[in-house]
Amino acid sequence: MLIPAIWTAALVFASELTLLSIGFTLTYLTAKVPNFAHGTYAGVGIYVSYTFAKIWGLSPYYGFPVAFIVGGIVSVIIYKLVIGVLTNMGGGAIVLTISTLAIQIFLTAFIQIYAYYLRERFSTYAMAFLLKESDFEFAGFPGIFVVSLTLTISLVLALHYMLTRTRIGVAMRATAEDPELASVLGINVDQIQLFSWFLTGGLACLAGAMIPLWFQATPQSGATIITSIMAGSLLGGFDSIYGSVIGGAIVGMSEILLTTWGQAIIGVWVGEYRPLIPMIFLVAVLLIEPNGLQGAWTRFAATQTGENFRKAVGLLKEDE
Amino acid sequence: MLQDIALGLLTSNVAAVTGNARLIVDIAMYFGLFVIVAMALNFQYGNAGIPNMGCAVQVIVGGFTVSALTTRLIFTMVEAGGVQLEPWASDFDWVYKNPVNVDLTNDYIATHSTFGWSMLLFSLAVSIILGAVIGWVIALPAIRLRATYLMIVLITMADAAQIFGRNIPAISGGTLGMFIPNIFEWYPGDRTVLTAVITLAIGLVSFFIFRTMLNSPYGRLMRAIRENEITVGSVGKNVVGIRRNILMFASGVTALSGTLLAFYFSFVVEANYQRAFWTYWPWLMLILGGPGNNAGTFLGCALIVAMRRVIIVNKWLLQELFFFPIAYFEAVLLGVLLIAVIMFRPNGLIPEKLLYIPGVNYTMMVQEEVEVDWRGTTQVKRGFSSGIQGIFNVLGGKKSKEEEE
Repeated sequence: MLIPAIWTAALVFASELTLLSIGFTLTYLTAKVPNFAHGTYAGVGIYVSYTFAKIWGLSPYYGFPVAFIVGGIVSVIIYKLVIGVLTNMGGGAIVLTISTLAIQIFLTAFIQIYAYYLRERFSTYAMAFLLKESDFEFAGFPGIFVVSLTLTISLVLALHYMLTRTRIGVAMRATAEDPELASVLGINVDQIQLFSWFLTGGLACLAGAMIPLWFQATPQSGATIITSIMAGSLLGGFDSIYGSVIGGAIVGMSEILLTTWGQAIIGVWVGEYRPLIPMIFLVAVLLIEPNGLQGAWTRFAATQTGENFRKAVGLLKEDE
Repeated sequence: MLQDIALGLLTSNVAAVTGNARLIVDIAMYFGLFVIVAMALNFQYGNAGIPNMGCAVQVIVGGFTVSALTTRLIFTMVEAGGVQLEPWASDFDWVYKNPVNVDLTNDYIATHSTFGWSMLLFSLAVSIILGAVIGWVIALPAIRLRATYLMIVLITMADAAQIFGRNIPAISGGTLGMFIPNIFEWYPGDRTVLTAVITLAIGLVSFFIFRTMLNSPYGRLMRAIRENEITVGSVGKNVVGIRRNILMFASGVTALSGTLLAFYFSFVVEANYQRAFWTYWPWLMLILGGPGNNAGTFLGCALIVAMRRVIIVNKWLLQELFFFPIAYFEAVLLGVLLIAVIMFRPNGLIPEKLLYIPGVNYTMMVQEEVEVDWRGTTQVKRGFSSGIQGIFNVLGGKKSKEEEE
C-alpha cells in the first residue's frame, strides 16, 4: 500500500460525502426542501451492494448501476407521492421538511425490515457488515479507493458539463432560480423536477453502494450520515453546487482525519465523539458565516484583493 | 379497575395496580409527559412559528438533572443525615456502587417524607432552569437565521446530547444507566401511580399556563411574529429576543417531562431519551391535533399515547401478523401517520381558532370567519359561524351587514 490507510479512508469517505452533498444541495435548489431522507437513499444503496455481494455472490461493483437506478426510482416515487403533492397543496418549507423526516423514518424502517428478511431467508447477518473481502486490488491500492475517487471526480465534471452546457442542465438551473419564469419560457417544470429527483436519488444511492466496501454499514448508517451531508452542504453555502463539492470533501476528510489524529494524540475515547465533528462544523458555519464558503467567496471577491486575484486567475475578464 | 387504581393510590396495597389498571396508569403517565412536551411544542411552533425539532435535547436535560445533580445532592444530604453510604466519588463507584447506595438512601427517605418532596421540587426547579439555559444555547447559532437552519441544528443537537450521556459515566452511568433514589419511598402505596398523578397535575397546570399566555398580549405578539416578522420588527419589537425568550421558556417546561420520566422509572439511561421518541412523536401529536390549538394538541396527545401504549402492551398478539419484529412496525406507523396527517388533515383534527381577547367579539366585528392556514397562506371565506351569527341576527331582529348597506 502506497499511502497510509487513514488517508485512503479519508479520501473514500470524502468522495462519498461529496456525491451525497451535491445531491442534497441540488434537491434544495430545485425543490426548496432540505431532504432529510437523502442519507437514507445511501442506506438503500448499501443494501443493493449487500444483495449483490452476499446474496448473489457477484462483485458489488456490478451493483453500482443498479444502485443508481434503484435510488433514482425511490427518489422519483417519493417526489410523486409526497413532495410533489405537498408542494401543489401549498405546503411551506417546514411542512415539507417534516414530511422528509417522516420519509426518512419510514425508509429506514423499510431497510431494517429488508435486512431482517435477508437474515431470516438466507441466514446471513445483514444487520452490521463490511464488504472489504469482495473488493479487488488495483496497483497496490484497494479497488474502492480508485473507483470512488475516479467516479466522484468524473461525476462532478459530468455534472458541471451538464449544468452549464446541455439544455436540460440549463433548464434545471432556470427552474431552481424561478419556476414560474422557467415555465413561461417553455420549460416543463414538472419533468425537470422529476429528472432532478431521479438524479439526486441515483447519486446518493450510488454513494451509498460504495460505503460498505470500506466502512462498516448497518441499516441506520443512512440515517446517521445525514448530519455529515448537511454539514458539507451548509459549509458549501447550502445553495451552491460547487460549494457543496468542496464542503462535502472538507467535512468528509476532517471527520476521518480529526478522529484518527485525536485518538492518537488525546486518547482512544475521542473516537466516540466522531458524530460531533459535523455538528461542530454546522454550528461554526452558522455562527461565523451563515452563507458558508459561497458567502465567504462572494465577500472576498467584492474586495480589491479579490478582484485582483480573480483577474490573475482569469475568472474576471479585463473589460468588465 | 378504577377502584384498583384508587386502591393503589390511597392505600398500602402495592399489588392492586395490575393488568388493565396498570395500562391505564401507564397511559396516564405518558399522556402527562407528552402533554407537557407537545404543549411546549405547540407554544413554539404552532403559535410562534419556531420549528423546534430538538425537544429530545430538553427532555434529556431533565433526565440528566435528576441523575447527575439530584442524586448527588441526595447522597450528600443523606450522608450528612447520618447514613453510611458506599463511596460514590469516582466514576467506577458512581456506576457500580449505585444500586447499594440507592437502596440505603431509600431506607432513609422512607422515614423522611419532607426530604422526598423537597428533592422533587428541587429537581423540577433545576430542570426548568437548565432547560432554559439549553434553550438559550441552542438558540445561539440559528435563531436569527432561516427556520430550516434551526431545524437542522436542533435535530443534530439531540444526538449530541445522547453521545455525551453515553460516554460520560458521571452524568447517567454511561450505557449501563443508573438507578435514582426513590423520593416517594415514604409513600405506602404504588409509587408509579403517585408519579402519574403528579405528572398529570403538572401537565394540566402547564396547559393552563400556556393557554393564559396565548390569550395575553404576548400571545398575540407571538402570532404576529409567526405571520409576518418583518412587520413586527418594523413596529419596534425585538423579534430575535422574543423568539429566544419563547424558546427558552418552552425548553424549561419541556425539561420537566424528562425529570418526571426519570422518577417514573427510578432509572436514567440515555437510550430512554431517543430523538425519534421525544421529537417525532410529539410532532405527530401536534400536527394531528392541530398546530396552534391547545385543545387539539391535548386531543392528539391522548389519541397517539393511547394507541401506542395499547400496541406496546398487546404486541405479542400483533406480532403474529408480521414476519418482522413489531418494533420496526412502530417506525413505519410513525412515518405513514405523519405523512397521512400532513396530506389529508393539514389543519389537524381541531383547526386553529382566533385568539380570545376580552371585550372584543370577532364575529360581531368581522362577520367573516378567517381560516388561518398553518402552512403559511391565509384564506378568508364566509364560514359556518358567520352563518349561525346571521341566523341569530335575524331571530334577534337585527339587520345583517348586507341589508344595512
